[in-house]
Amino acid sequence: MTEILAGRLGRGARATPATTGWQKLAGNSGAFVAIVALLFILTAALAPQLLTTADPDAVAPVDAFQSPSPAHLFGTDESGRDVYTRVVFGAANSLLIGIAATVVGLGLALVLGLLGGLGGRVGDFVSTRVVEVMFALPGLLLALVFIAIAGPGVVTSTVAVGLSTAPGYARIIRSQLRSVRNSGYVEAATVLGHSRLRIVVQHILPGALAPIFVLGTLGVGQAIVWASSLGFLGLGVAPPAAEWGAMLSSGRTYIDVAWWLTVFPGLAIVATAASFTVLGRALNERTRQGAIG
Amino acid sequence: MSAPRILLLPLSLAATAALLAGCTAATEPAAEPVTGGTLVYATGDAEPGCLDPHVGGNYPQALISTQYIESLVSKNTAGEIIPWLATEWTTSEDGLTWDFTLRDDVTFTDGTPFDAEAVKTNIEHLKDPNTASSTGYLAVGKIDGIDAVESDQVRFTLSTPDSALLESLSQPWVGIQSPAALERDQAINCESPVGTGPFVVTDWVKQQSITLERNENYNSAPEDAEHTGTALLDSLKWRFIPDAATRYAALQSGDVDVIDNAQPNNISSAESDPAIDELNAPRPGASNRIELNSGKAPFDDERVREAFIRAADVSPGIDSLFFGTAERSYSVLSSVEADGISLPDAFAVDQDAANTLLDDAGWDTIDSDGYRTKDGVRLTLDFPISTNQSIPAEQSLFEQIQASAKEVGFEVKLLPTDLSSWYGALFTNEYNLVSAPYTKVGADVLRILYHSDSIIPAPSGYYANLAQLSDPKLDQILTTASQTSDAAERTALYEEAQSIIIDGFYVLPLYDQQNHYLYSTSVEGFRALPTVSAPTFYDAWLND
Amino acid sequence: MTDPSDPTAERLSTRPAARLRSLAWVARRLGGGLFVLWMVATVIFFALRLIPGDPVDAILGGPGSQASAEAVAQIRVEYGLDQPLIVQYFLAMAKLAVADFGTSYALKIAVAPYVLTQLWSTLVLTIASLVVAWVLALALTMVTSGRRGPARAVGSGLELLAAAVPHFWLASLLIIVLSNTLHWLPPISVPGPLGLILPVLTLALPLTGFLGQLMRESLANAYEQPFVVSARARGESEWGVRFRHVLRHAALPGISLSGWAFGSLLSGAVVVETIFARPGLGRTLLSAVSIRDIPVVTAVALLSALTFIIVTVATDAIDRIVDPRVAKQ
Repeated sequence: MTEILAGRLGRGARATPATTGWQKLAGNSGAFVAIVALLFILTAALAPQLLTTADPDAVAPVDAFQSPSPAHLFGTDESGRDVYTRVVFGAANSLLIGIAATVVGLGLALVLGLLGGLGGRVGDFVSTRVVEVMFALPGLLLALVFIAIAGPGVVTSTVAVGLSTAPGYARIIRSQLRSVRNSGYVEAATVLGHSRLRIVVQHILPGALAPIFVLGTLGVGQAIVWASSLGFLGLGVAPPAAEWGAMLSSGRTYIDVAWWLTVFPGLAIVATAASFTVLGRALNERTRQGAIG
Repeated sequence: MSAPRILLLPLSLAATAALLAGCTAATEPAAEPVTGGTLVYATGDAEPGCLDPHVGGNYPQALISTQYIESLVSKNTAGEIIPWLATEWTTSEDGLTWDFTLRDDVTFTDGTPFDAEAVKTNIEHLKDPNTASSTGYLAVGKIDGIDAVESDQVRFTLSTPDSALLESLSQPWVGIQSPAALERDQAINCESPVGTGPFVVTDWVKQQSITLERNENYNSAPEDAEHTGTALLDSLKWRFIPDAATRYAALQSGDVDVIDNAQPNNISSAESDPAIDELNAPRPGASNRIELNSGKAPFDDERVREAFIRAADVSPGIDSLFFGTAERSYSVLSSVEADGISLPDAFAVDQDAANTLLDDAGWDTIDSDGYRTKDGVRLTLDFPISTNQSIPAEQSLFEQIQASAKEVGFEVKLLPTDLSSWYGALFTNEYNLVSAPYTKVGADVLRILYHSDSIIPAPSGYYANLAQLSDPKLDQILTTASQTSDAAERTALYEEAQSIIIDGFYVLPLYDQQNHYLYSTSVEGFRALPTVSAPTFYDAWLND
Repeated sequence: MTDPSDPTAERLSTRPAARLRSLAWVARRLGGGLFVLWMVATVIFFALRLIPGDPVDAILGGPGSQASAEAVAQIRVEYGLDQPLIVQYFLAMAKLAVADFGTSYALKIAVAPYVLTQLWSTLVLTIASLVVAWVLALALTMVTSGRRGPARAVGSGLELLAAAVPHFWLASLLIIVLSNTLHWLPPISVPGPLGLILPVLTLALPLTGFLGQLMRESLANAYEQPFVVSARARGESEWGVRFRHVLRHAALPGISLSGWAFGSLLSGAVVVETIFARPGLGRTLLSAVSIRDIPVVTAVALLSALTFIIVTVATDAIDRIVDPRVAKQ
């Protein structure tokens, strides 16, 4: 099970024919950069005051559309607000949407996956169909209808994005549960006459749930990108909340006169999504190696 | 507080002059008009569900139907009603009987002759519940009886005098269609409406475009047109491009010739583009304004309304967000309405005054987030925003209002929603602030927007008086004005009405309903019809 | 290619039992598909009734209409909206069962032909995007995978970046660069292939990022397989190994994910069709939801579900052919 990403976190990586010193370094540094970036983003999300002293919502129409300068590192937006400050303060909202949406999606998927993986024939049938139905409905349709029902806002966007990512997770979780259930040690436990519950709790769940964390890290970035599309359609967070997707979509209007309005929040989204992905893959690698070794 | 109000006349004239300038700029080159070619028009308005403007009746329908359906009368840039399909008209002493003389040489594009019976059929069509007309239905609401006296003579009998009748009839939503065509199934008439206009709808590819070909038998141009006879263009292609940035990019690349709903930043950058010209044609009727819902707390208290007006700092935002393309309005009415009055002093920003007013009104405690409270309730204002109607610059302006209102302790909750949810919030009275543009020709729009009758919802839930202004004195003034045929008297009444509305702090005017067209310099003779400022391509030609 | 350890070298058996098995598989999938369609219709039916707002408004000239009481009452009866919800549900299902999608509330035209036209436009867009994404991802991974050094780092960096870019931003950048600045392509969809390039690129690039990441992993896996080792031992050239043996392996996860990818493209189509002013299912859906045109929303949901089911069955079938191990499981 050696993957090209072997050794992203370095420790205990098996050398493969394709793995060279350079690759190891690249892999390591990739994960390192990702972790540093995420720490930075987390700081912005949890303690924005450490990174800026300005007020993200302070409006000053006379200062509108100023290009980046020492006074305004990332320039100012259409209402004269400091874009750097808004990007920093936006981290909390964007991460919240990204993480919470992923948690919602994973949670829903876990219920469906458990039902399918452990609930016997009926449970499996029900969960398979539910997943198929959710899969068959385009994610954005689910999101649009849900937002129409519940009204737009952070919570709605989060749940809407979670809903549309759930079926993907459910499939992965179910197949994971299946493979664990059919594995040797579970069969052994069954032969030993252990109770069903004990088998599930002791043997199946730990093995099957390990990848969830990894899946989650991979999903956060995508959830943020997703939520920003809702912002573009006018269905994102309520103004004036600083949120990267909302900033990106409102800045798009002025893309010909003020490039900085889209570039900086856009970079924040791309950096976050990419960092989470790199971290997720590195973790994935470690878990696999843990399972092997 | 109630100083005498100045007339808006100078401003209105200026706007008219600007409009004229816009028109002449396009026609000025001495070059002889060239016949032929296809002009591509890109609209940012919604794709109409039905091309028959009787059905429903919204602005997107008016935009396109102006190309193929004509009205009994029109309006010139001076604001005068001018003949169109009707050549002259008289009204009885009591204002209840109107006689129209019709042109006798006009045929619809399906060959049906235009006559008194056709007019009768159209008014009846508007009044038929099966048509589901809203705008047109309201416009002809006072017409009780229609008689086709002779083939070119039609008589309207009204239930009460209607001084706004001619203005109402000039609107595209009351345009005259072929009675034979109206007899068809509504779905068919929606796809291929038949009028007397310079173009004919020949094809409609949903979500993409509508094709219109020249009407080769056209002979009914209004008298303010540049030429007579048929249109100059072979055809028009009417494209739907919802995204403003794409629309402008398409104009720059030459894929389209004219765009509407141009965004402020695009208009501003187009100024330095020698290949692009601008036409600014504000819509008539009401200005773009924020209504303060006086029908429920906290705006049922006039002091709180005044405090909001004193707190909301709008002008600096309009300057920066609109790049100088929109002028701050201090009027309930559009600057093209001659009866509008502008009262800048009534909207002076004064934070101290706002604070005092709120203290007096009992909103005198401040919670941890900096918002005022009264009896434990926060001073919160719900502001539903239709993302289909408010352009990004306007939404940003609302954010700035939110910020300046916060400084005196208002919590303004901006709630961007789609069109249906937005109407839903209005119908269930879940709003304190709302911006709802309303286009109508003439100051009579005040009656629709601020007469207490307009608080009573239609069966669909709709009502137009979103400030929920209920004032018997105002009602009486508006009713009298709508029945007064004397122009000066009418103007005086409308001025009084506007004073009452503004002095009661029911509205915060922002600017005219923006209606900017950008077009390639290869387009000549393009103008907006002064009725509802919809574009007309009858005189237009391509110079390349 | 005769290496016995190469599972893909084994062809799908033509023995009757296998054929029967395949037939049963197809039947099962079709039955499941019908069930899914029914559930989709049910979910949409009830979800749309939960949305605030009266469908009568949508029928009578859209929200904000001032229709008379008679008109409202008449429409209620005509559209069966005066019936109890459960009766409406069974009536709606009965109609859908015979593929009667009804009349659009807003456009007053038959929904089926209208939505089918839009579907065609979206299919052209999404399939073209899928193909382009596939080709780009394959090219990128084939060229940069297994390489040592910067080429690979650049390859995976590009994939990461592409996968994290929101469609609407990418679209704006493409318009600015390729249309406004370089004047190579029209910013709006025009007839012919030229107008398709920007929308397809917008949809395809993020997907390329995803597919690329996946392929890179499975490709790396494939390099470790015995048949590659033995091919190398036989002295086959590096490119020979790549194209003859490894490619197919890299393609496998891509194929099984194409169903999923297609679904995500349908979602992305909403944004792309809006920006490039292309007709299509996405834009239809957006406007239909916002004006509560229930028959259109229902038809769009069912059609996308049907398309999704067909694509999934098709990709699974291709999977069975390319990798017979799947069929035996």
